Amino acid sequence: MTDKQPTANIHSFESLATLDGKGIRYGIFFVGCPFRCVYCHNPDTWSGEGKRYTVDELVKKIVRYKPYFGKDGGVTLSGGEVLVQSAFAAKLEKKLAKEGIGVALDTSGGVPLTDDVKDALSHAEMVILDLKFWDDEHYVRYCNGSISTVLDTLEFCEQKNVPVWIRTVMVPGINDKKECIDKYAETVRGYKCVKRYQLLAFHTMGFSKYEKLGIKNPLEGTPALDRKRLDELQAYLDAKEITNE
Amino acid sequence: MNNEWQGFKKGNWCKKIDVRDFIVRNYTPYLGDKSFLSGPTARTSEIKAKVDDLLVKEAEKGVLDVDTENVASILSFAPGYIDKEKDIIVGLQTDAPLKRAINPFAGKRMSEKACDAYGYKMSDKIKTEFKYRTTHNDGVFRVYTDEMRAARHVGVITGLPDAYARGRIIGDYRRIALYGMDYLIECKKADKKELGKNDMSAENIQLMEDVQKQLEFMEQLKQMAAQYGCDISRPAANAKEAVQWLYFGYLGAVKEQNGAANSIGRISTFLDIYFERDLKNGTLTEEGAQEIIDDLVLKLRLVRHLRTPEYNDLFAGDPTWVTTSEGGMCEDGRPMVTKNCFRILQTLYNLGSSAEPNITVLWAQKLPQGFKDFCAQVSIDTDSIQYENDDVMRPAFGDDYAIACCVSAMKEGKQMQFFGARCNLAKVLLMALNGGKDEIYGIQVAPAGKVFDEGVLNYDEVLKAYKKYMKWMAKLYVNTLNIIHYMHDKYAYERLMMSLHDTHVERLMAFGICGLSVLADSLSAIKYAKVKAVKDERGIITDFVTEGDFPKYGNDDDRVDAIAKWIVESFYKELVKTPTYRGAKHTLSILTITSNVVYGKKTGSTPDGRKRGEPFAPGANPMHGRDCEGALASLNSVAKLDYGCCRDGISNTFSITPDTLGENEQDRISKLTAMLDGYFIQDAHHLNVNVLHRQKLIDAMNNPALYPNLTIRVSGYAVNFNKLNKNQQQEVINRTFHEKF
Repeated sequence: MTDKQPTANIHSFESLATLDGKGIRYGIFFVGCPFRCVYCHNPDTWSGEGKRYTVDELVKKIVRYKPYFGKDGGVTLSGGEVLVQSAFAAKLEKKLAKEGIGVALDTSGGVPLTDDVKDALSHAEMVILDLKFWDDEHYVRYCNGSISTVLDTLEFCEQKNVPVWIRTVMVPGINDKKECIDKYAETVRGYKCVKRYQLLAFHTMGFSKYEKLGIKNPLEGTPALDRKRLDELQAYLDAKEITNE
Repeated sequence: MNNEWQGFKKGNWCKKIDVRDFIVRNYTPYLGDKSFLSGPTARTSEIKAKVDDLLVKEAEKGVLDVDTENVASILSFAPGYIDKEKDIIVGLQTDAPLKRAINPFAGKRMSEKACDAYGYKMSDKIKTEFKYRTTHNDGVFRVYTDEMRAARHVGVITGLPDAYARGRIIGDYRRIALYGMDYLIECKKADKKELGKNDMSAENIQLMEDVQKQLEFMEQLKQMAAQYGCDISRPAANAKEAVQWLYFGYLGAVKEQNGAANSIGRISTFLDIYFERDLKNGTLTEEGAQEIIDDLVLKLRLVRHLRTPEYNDLFAGDPTWVTTSEGGMCEDGRPMVTKNCFRILQTLYNLGSSAEPNITVLWAQKLPQGFKDFCAQVSIDTDSIQYENDDVMRPAFGDDYAIACCVSAMKEGKQMQFFGARCNLAKVLLMALNGGKDEIYGIQVAPAGKVFDEGVLNYDEVLKAYKKYMKWMAKLYVNTLNIIHYMHDKYAYERLMMSLHDTHVERLMAFGICGLSVLADSLSAIKYAKVKAVKDERGIITDFVTEGDFPKYGNDDDRVDAIAKWIVESFYKELVKTPTYRGAKHTLSILTITSNVVYGKKTGSTPDGRKRGEPFAPGANPMHGRDCEGALASLNSVAKLDYGCCRDGISNTFSITPDTLGENEQDRISKLTAMLDGYFIQDAHHLNVNVLHRQKLIDAMNNPALYPNLTIRVSGYAVNFNKLNKNQQQEVINRTFHEKF
């Protein structure tokens, strides 16, 4: 019977995800991503065949973690890029809603706004949107993508009142300057849906995955971003008061 | 009514010994947060500095000093002090801090070896005194059968308290503060008189002799207190006296006994009643209250016993398990959290983190949030406390139980335990495959049975053989413990501790399992993958080749978790079939302390892929590296084990890096409390929590001097990381750290 139900291609699970949304999250990592960011720390989720699960199979796994969710926690769908499998994600969200479990979507915004993507976005309790850069030029150079789908995603969340957390990875030598922060801030200024803007430090713990996969690591030799520098940049960004929480 | 009881609400406790009734009628729940707490006074910091100096010296030598002339007992030593003028709570085990006493009652060879190990010589005086005396150890070996000796030799049962004192008994030291010794002595005399009316069966004679021994030591305790200038024949009149009286009881117990774990009981909320009365009277300030608790805890941190290096392999880090029990709920629905529970936790800030006392939080869903948050904060900052689920223990033990050692609950003053160490069920599986022969020594230990052929193992056949040998193991294990505890009662009876119990005490016999995850994964491998047995030149199966994947315990996967559950439940069912000494109730724990390393060393390769000599996972933990869906999946697997058949506790140790737990302090606190609520609402029993970086442990292993107080939680207790040997340190580092990349 399960053969007839649609399945998703899943890379892995993290039953204690604490940084991707409010409260304790159950993290599900989907396979597949349209971007190829040079600083990606999960290149093992770009493509290939993970393990296939139906919606019901996932719901059965997830409800086991309900005791930990409390009033804030829930599920976070991530990847790879979860919206590559948006029809499945939307079904999963609706089924989990019946169990009283909220879903956060952790997306790069790299997928065009099809009806399925809109369906998935509008059923999310919140969206964590990865803003890689501030213009197409950089998106092309570093991500092999475009900013337009990212901005469309943000605009759609604004219309539908879906709360958004913006996240940006600070990579030494690429975007860890105050001038860059100015550009990021201007990109999202004015959106009421943006509740938080968090900068993340580039780290080198994903490097071993490149070796394992036999892919060339474009940032080989780049150091992790210093924690102090991250705090400085975050304070600089916070002073601009662009978020609405 | 006694003068000392002014201001207390009367009740049944005024007519007979009933400490619980006193507590329930008089305690004041505290529902607030930590904001009322005081830091250390100048005096506390000064005394603490003195103690720190001594601890550094002790760490250099292993032991600071040994009294080789006098045998440990309540009155063997002159009074000792850290600072005679400034100690608030007085009393040390010997005449000087950290000086250890020789206690040969459980086994004199062990004491002699311990002296030798640290460069001391047991005096001729002691040798002569014990020449004609039978020790517990002598008694046990007079009776052990060949089969028991073989099982012990190969290590299928190990750590048995047959050469050292059993411990795990908690005297109800609160009784001394509440009633004074004279009343307690009067009650015991009346009990003995009643027993005199019975027919003189062996049981009755034994109990009468027990009570007489208790009475002798109760008198001695009064004398000991008098040496410190205190009259404990009467009840304690204020907070300081209540702490002092109670501590004298505990001190007498650890002078007399060197049992593995000597826990102090559920004392905070009891004592809080005295603190509240004094605070209300204006005779005590919060600063003064904290200072008394700090001084008590400082004394508890100095408890020491003289141990051998072999003992340290089983119970690493020189632990004494001065376990305290904080919080929990009253049966009437009120939380039993008081300000004193906070004050005990606060000592980890005022005095720095420490392995002892072994602070245990009795977690309940309905505990006040302020207390939950403070506990979580203390865990994050110090890694020094453990959590046990009051919501599963309360129905079984009421609301006046305390934790002994790591995870053993018992009704205070009403139940005692016959400690039983543990048996190695992973090894039993290998014995089942080899027809009762031990895979390392090659000798026949269990009755001869079917020897499995080389090649692919059939699950049903393996299971049938395992069941047969598991039955054999259970029976042998119970009978071995019966001998041990008969002899312990006969030759090393805990006179003072038992005097602080009801005369008609309920006894528990605590059995234990180690190797749970190894056995569960091994059976899972045989069932779900293809496991080929390989024999060595002796014709003994010593290796396995496993093809294909199989479900592994620790991933919330019912296929294997059900096997783990079955292992525990079926073993418990077998244990209860063999009657116990003195009608004790069988209980079972899944707890290894640090012996998972030693057990692993003594066990051949197993079908789960673990190689000969590699450590087991500690307690009920999944094997490290095999849980691949994150921390909560691992917790969910452990939560499935049934506390109903594991009433002596199910130990689980959890380590996480701070950055994985949350973004900032407030976030980490709220996530940790949510995690504890989520784990315990599933009727899980115990959790050790470590919040630290793996790298910090690696640094500490390489540069111990930089981390003198690094405390971490290991299976059911806390240890100073530097006191573990290299193998044990490596094992802790290898253990699953839940960290996010």
